[in-house]
Amino acid sequence: MDVVIIDGLSFALPLFIMAIGGIYCERSGITMLAVEGLQGFGAFTGALCAVLVSGSFSGNSPVPFYIAMLFAFIGGGVFALIHALLCIKFKANQVISGVVVNILAMALTAYLTKLLNRVLFGATSDKFVLTVSARITIPVLSKIPVLGAAFTNLYPFELVIIVVAFIAWFVMYKTRFGMHLRACGDNPHAVDAAGREVNKIRLAAIIICGALSGLGGICFAYSISANFSSSIYVGYGYLAIAALIFGNWKIMPTLGACLLFGFARSGGYRIVQVLKLPSSYQDLVMILPYVLTLILLMFFSKHNGSPRALGVVYDKGAR
Amino acid sequence: MKIIRKLWDAVKIPLLAIFAGLIAGGVIIAVTGSNPFRAYYSLLQGSGLAPKSSYAAYKSMLTDLCSYANYFTPMIFAALAVAVALRAGLFNIGVSGQMLAAGFTASIIVGYSGLGAVIAKPLVIIIGIIVGGIAGAVVGFLKYKFNINEVVSTIMFNYIFQYVISFFINTYFVDPVSRQSKNVSAASRLTLMDTQIGNLKIDIPLGIILALITVYAVWFLLEKTKLGYELKAVGFSKTAAKYAGINVGKCVVLSMTISGALGGLAGVTYYLGYLGSIQPKVLVDTGYDAIAVSLLGNNNPFGIIFSTMLITLISKGSTYMKSTAGVDSEIASVITGVILLFSACNAYIKWKAANIRARKSLPVNSENHEKIKAGKEEK
Repeated sequence: MDVVIIDGLSFALPLFIMAIGGIYCERSGITMLAVEGLQGFGAFTGALCAVLVSGSFSGNSPVPFYIAMLFAFIGGGVFALIHALLCIKFKANQVISGVVVNILAMALTAYLTKLLNRVLFGATSDKFVLTVSARITIPVLSKIPVLGAAFTNLYPFELVIIVVAFIAWFVMYKTRFGMHLRACGDNPHAVDAAGREVNKIRLAAIIICGALSGLGGICFAYSISANFSSSIYVGYGYLAIAALIFGNWKIMPTLGACLLFGFARSGGYRIVQVLKLPSSYQDLVMILPYVLTLILLMFFSKHNGSPRALGVVYDKGAR
Repeated sequence: MKIIRKLWDAVKIPLLAIFAGLIAGGVIIAVTGSNPFRAYYSLLQGSGLAPKSSYAAYKSMLTDLCSYANYFTPMIFAALAVAVALRAGLFNIGVSGQMLAAGFTASIIVGYSGLGAVIAKPLVIIIGIIVGGIAGAVVGFLKYKFNINEVVSTIMFNYIFQYVISFFINTYFVDPVSRQSKNVSAASRLTLMDTQIGNLKIDIPLGIILALITVYAVWFLLEKTKLGYELKAVGFSKTAAKYAGINVGKCVVLSMTISGALGGLAGVTYYLGYLGSIQPKVLVDTGYDAIAVSLLGNNNPFGIIFSTMLITLISKGSTYMKSTAGVDSEIASVITGVILLFSACNAYIKWKAANIRARKSLPVNSENHEKIKAGKEEK
């Protein structure tokens, strides 16, 4: 049981932070399908910086990891500018733009990883090897029965994510900027009439989305795969999008959706282990989050409240 | 003259995108210290469109060309699948999953049976159409009945197919040496592998004929039939289509069914034509690249033939480019990505061009005005 909670949380929280990024973008009225690519590119920049600086720190120092997180944050945000350029400046179809950003991110990171490995380190490798982040246990809270597992063997990034997620929630619902952002997704003309620039707010939302996605990506790179390679693209970005749709574009219900995915996944793995099934049964278990998404969407999609101006290019002159 | 003008209007933006992509790729290649012209020429050589300096036994330019055709046949089907869905305003991102489902089903039913070639080959194609069609129809039904965004559901199905099929392959159909599914029988292959003609051993892709017929059929369906017109109307505006008395739900399900069936054809030509076996836990890129190909071909079936040939030329030739020009083969997808980036902006470029033209010929005549509007609304 403890294992289910520990593994579930370490999967759900990076997913959650990516989903928050998606919420920011979609609530501002820009369709965001590029989370997958953005998290990959963020993880790439983060992993590159970690590999570059790791030589000047001792083997198990956590500092490279924090540097990696910072640069993943920045890298994701910068790469998201492509989506912003296409969607806002060039008025491209936002779904197509998202797909293009994904393809470009996969291509560029695969190419650059190989190139930089050769140029900087003289190695022929298509991955940046990272460590698995050390785990921490919070002293008193972990003694609570059952729930204590949530405070046991935490990755440090889980705490960072909780802090960032709280800030994101606060900005979205309690500040003037957050209100304008949400208004951009529902009625951009009202925002314009109130004297704010719709496109600037949307640009900010896309950059935030990229930054948060990048953060999520580097967390996956440091926990599940322990390296950066093209194996980072396994569709968690899309899962985050499913989570935010399921969470009705609101932050707290989305957390619920992410936890559900996380526990479904870790629970499934646990069942395979407990029943001593051959490892190939893990493949069957892997489909649990996806099947669950589809079934839940069947019940909740009918009346979901997507932002009204979602995917519509802002046209000042439109009626 | 009018036809040429129309054709030029259709191709100039894709051409611009291709040009920009090749320049961007060329700059990257030059910066990393290789000769871009040599690299691009080796792309042509690798695909059999230009002669190589030497050939192995039983090989020539013709064999390379045939294996290139063998490689791009599935992509034509996949891009058509995307185009049909896009006509009705739907994004079929699940072509890869539909390909896998169709390819796997055809493999286990026909590929591992002892059926003769005359029965096996048509049966493979029929199974591909049916399985792909069902997989597409489910997505359309979910969209129509439960309002589930097709982008999300197709992606979910991609992963479900990938893992379930990987489970079955690993449990029942695995080849212990290659760690892939067992090879399908030669009789069921849609490509005649290593056929000796004269002193050459050629892979003859039968699927390419079917692909060309399908291109015409899809064009006919979209442009000349009532259903095609209805799909287009739904794609432009669901509410307007409903007002005109079109059954929107039927159109959504039908377009996804047709799209899925085409995806299924892509699957059988890929897994039972090009490859002959299935690698577990791997979803091919074809389905995602097909979005790019379709976009570059203006979602026009005939345009798709050319955009397919170009995009697959870059990826097919990249292995040879690596060996001769020493350029990492990953550059191929970077070039493709940049081409896409530019073709995604086509609405803006069109709008800008129309705007400049409109400004030149004031007062704004109605045709230009329509173009400006069309450019804006093509979101």
